[in-house]
Amino acid sequence: MSILSFEFLGFVAAVAALNYLLPVRARWVLLLAASLLFYALSGWRGLAYLACCAAIVWAGALLLGALRDREAAARAKGDGETARRMKRRRGALSAALLSALFAALSLVKYSGALLAGLGMPMLALAAPLGLSYFTFQGAGYLIDASRGKASPERNPLRILLFLSFFPQMAQGPISPHAQLAPQLSSPRRFAPEAFVAGFQLVLWGCFKKLVLADRLAPVTELIAGDAAQPGWLILLGAALYAVRLYADFSGGMDVIRGVAAMLGVEMVENFRRPFFSLSVAEYWRRWHMSLGAWFRSYLFYPLTTSPLGLALSKLGCKFLGKKAGRALPGAVATLVIFLLIGVWHVASWNAVLYGAYFGALMGGSMLLEPAFKAIKARLRIRDKGPLWRAFGMARTWALVLLAQVFALAAGPRQAFRLLADAARNWQFSGAAARLTKLLPPLEWCIAGAALLLVLAVDLQYERGVEVNDKLARGPFPIRWIVLILLIVSALVLGRYGEGYDGAAFLYTQF
Amino acid sequence: MGRGRALLGFWLRLMGFATILALVLCYAVYVLTPKYDYGICSITNLYRQDRDTVDVLVLGTSAAYAGVNTNVLWKEYGIAAYDLCGAEHPFWISYYYLEEALKTQSPKLILLDAKAAIYQQDTTKRGRTILSTYGIRDLGTRLKAIRACVAEEDFLDYALAFPQLHDNYPNVGWDSFKLPPDNGGRGADWKGFIEVDGHEKHHRPSLVWTKTKKPLNGRQRGYFEEILQLARDRGIPVMLVGFPNPDYAHDHMYYNALWSVAEEYGAFGINYNQPDLRYGLRYTTDFADWQHLNVKGSVTFSRKLGEDLRANFDLPDRRGDAAYASYDRCAENWYATHPAYASEEE
Repeated sequence: MSILSFEFLGFVAAVAALNYLLPVRARWVLLLAASLLFYALSGWRGLAYLACCAAIVWAGALLLGALRDREAAARAKGDGETARRMKRRRGALSAALLSALFAALSLVKYSGALLAGLGMPMLALAAPLGLSYFTFQGAGYLIDASRGKASPERNPLRILLFLSFFPQMAQGPISPHAQLAPQLSSPRRFAPEAFVAGFQLVLWGCFKKLVLADRLAPVTELIAGDAAQPGWLILLGAALYAVRLYADFSGGMDVIRGVAAMLGVEMVENFRRPFFSLSVAEYWRRWHMSLGAWFRSYLFYPLTTSPLGLALSKLGCKFLGKKAGRALPGAVATLVIFLLIGVWHVASWNAVLYGAYFGALMGGSMLLEPAFKAIKARLRIRDKGPLWRAFGMARTWALVLLAQVFALAAGPRQAFRLLADAARNWQFSGAAARLTKLLPPLEWCIAGAALLLVLAVDLQYERGVEVNDKLARGPFPIRWIVLILLIVSALVLGRYGEGYDGAAFLYTQF
Repeated sequence: MGRGRALLGFWLRLMGFATILALVLCYAVYVLTPKYDYGICSITNLYRQDRDTVDVLVLGTSAAYAGVNTNVLWKEYGIAAYDLCGAEHPFWISYYYLEEALKTQSPKLILLDAKAAIYQQDTTKRGRTILSTYGIRDLGTRLKAIRACVAEEDFLDYALAFPQLHDNYPNVGWDSFKLPPDNGGRGADWKGFIEVDGHEKHHRPSLVWTKTKKPLNGRQRGYFEEILQLARDRGIPVMLVGFPNPDYAHDHMYYNALWSVAEEYGAFGINYNQPDLRYGLRYTTDFADWQHLNVKGSVTFSRKLGEDLRANFDLPDRRGDAAYASYDRCAENWYATHPAYASEEE
């Protein structure tokens, strides 16, 4: 069941109605039943896989918690030897559990690419819905349980709900246990304003996805597929792809967060207007935030503070100087993380290059930060000045667009060809005809108007105006007009129905 | 303000919002629905006819709306006929159209086009044909008609209308917002007759006049019987009509099967493709294409049909009756644009 279908709308309405009719204590059972039903509709095998994962995570967290308790008790008694033994066991168990989870994830996710390479694509395993998201969420909970940041849950069904909560199955976010689980166990009382704000978010997400993202989808695919393109069109294609990806992914997230809010659950934010970022590092702090936070918490810090990281820092200080040397473990960890993020998207060389590009860019800028700071100080550049901000934004856009070419192209060879073509043939003769061939003028107008609207709303958020909350709390006649316009425009101007595959989100496959 | 009062206010506002939204969406569906002559216009315009002013209700496909020239029937015979037809209408759409028509009209005769007998699909083939059900005002009847038209998995898409209609927004113009539609400028007086322009030279079909039957599609037969049953329950006679058709050789054995079912219900019928039935229709000049009569053909055919109706049914001559003034206006308008046929009749 796609989260952008009338069936899903009916499903959510039924679950929301039942949810608020039931006593607060019983609601988690309904949410679990609804989540399992939703998941079962996407396939029984996937449900079995999810249940196995949940069982491993539940039992693993209990064992880790028990080992941690014993370790603490031994330490309290002054029995250092037992405490160290428990710690070693805990480490080994954590490693075994995480290896099992990620090995299973890799097997399912990459078997297709691997077997296709071996000429046996028919043997590939079908990935369960939301595989990466619930695996990362479960792994995060296990690490938190091992670190003592999460108290192990005794009820396996509550862990099953934490991993399978239906709104997040389509494309995340990856929620920390401490943030999501308490809300699922005891959801809030019905609050009209939160319910309305959630509904508004759903509509806004639908608008972004159906009117903007899916309208641009065929254009970007045509540009990427055509062999002879002028340079400006390739860059336009990359920019439109970036917009499409943002509207698609953030639109989907708005729907998910909105549905959760309608059920009394607040989910973590996954996007914070990334295209207003002043640097690539900031862009990644605003784009797919829950994935970034996961990697920061569970990989970046452990890597940089590990003995290997400390040794790397020493080595760096020796050869690169004190400041750059200290940044070296972080730079290397960043490179590793972005390679993993690239491969997490899809097992392809394009994804590796995409990750390596961002890793090298950000790792390099970490190493060169002291030099940049010195240059800025010498040129008396103010970080908060409007010109520097505009430059920062344009630079970020340019650097991100370069990477989008790798996301847009089918393979590295095509990506490099597109990049080479983008630098030459800047002929504008016949530009209007080319654009009209890609999309009729009326469609360009609609896409442009939708983009301006998304931009205007994002700009308000950047200025600190909480547009959604303001509308939910504002006078109802204005709210009604806005909502009716949104509904009608999404229904009339949206790309869906026969002949379109609009319901498929780009990030559902991950 | 207490929580209870706040919640009451919320629910009241929600109901208000849902009502307004439903009205806006219904209107949006109407605006997006193509106002083809052969689509929703005949049914939406039926609702604009004065109550009980249709004596002969014509149901069927494009062969019927192109063939039954209501203006000729009125001017030459005083028969108040209305073509409630649509392109490729299967019997199930005709059935629900009839159900809907009987809510405001009490016809003295139903003319039923036999053409649907040849359709073999269980569902309705063309989207535009299904869209003609969007003109049905009663939501329950409309949903039943849609359910009859489409496969189960497509029902929701058609029932909600937007998935099928939203792509039509580039064709929306100012006229799309007019409620009810202006029927291509013909206004409320229009009686459903649609001229099919053009001329194609054909020959009278040569076929072996056999009594062999080809089995009807089960659903077509079922709804055909439902129409006959509904008409019988209301005491309305049904006349089955085989419209003249150059491609008739293909249809003949299906018509045989249909006629035998009609006989079981005591329904009368005339197949105007019978080789011995000569009434001046020329296959070389009177067809617009391989299955539709052109204007000249419709005049010739409708004169013969009028004669047969007069001979077989006791239909009143409504000319001069003030309640039927719209028929006068419709015919006057039509003959004013087709003076050749007016003088021919005089």
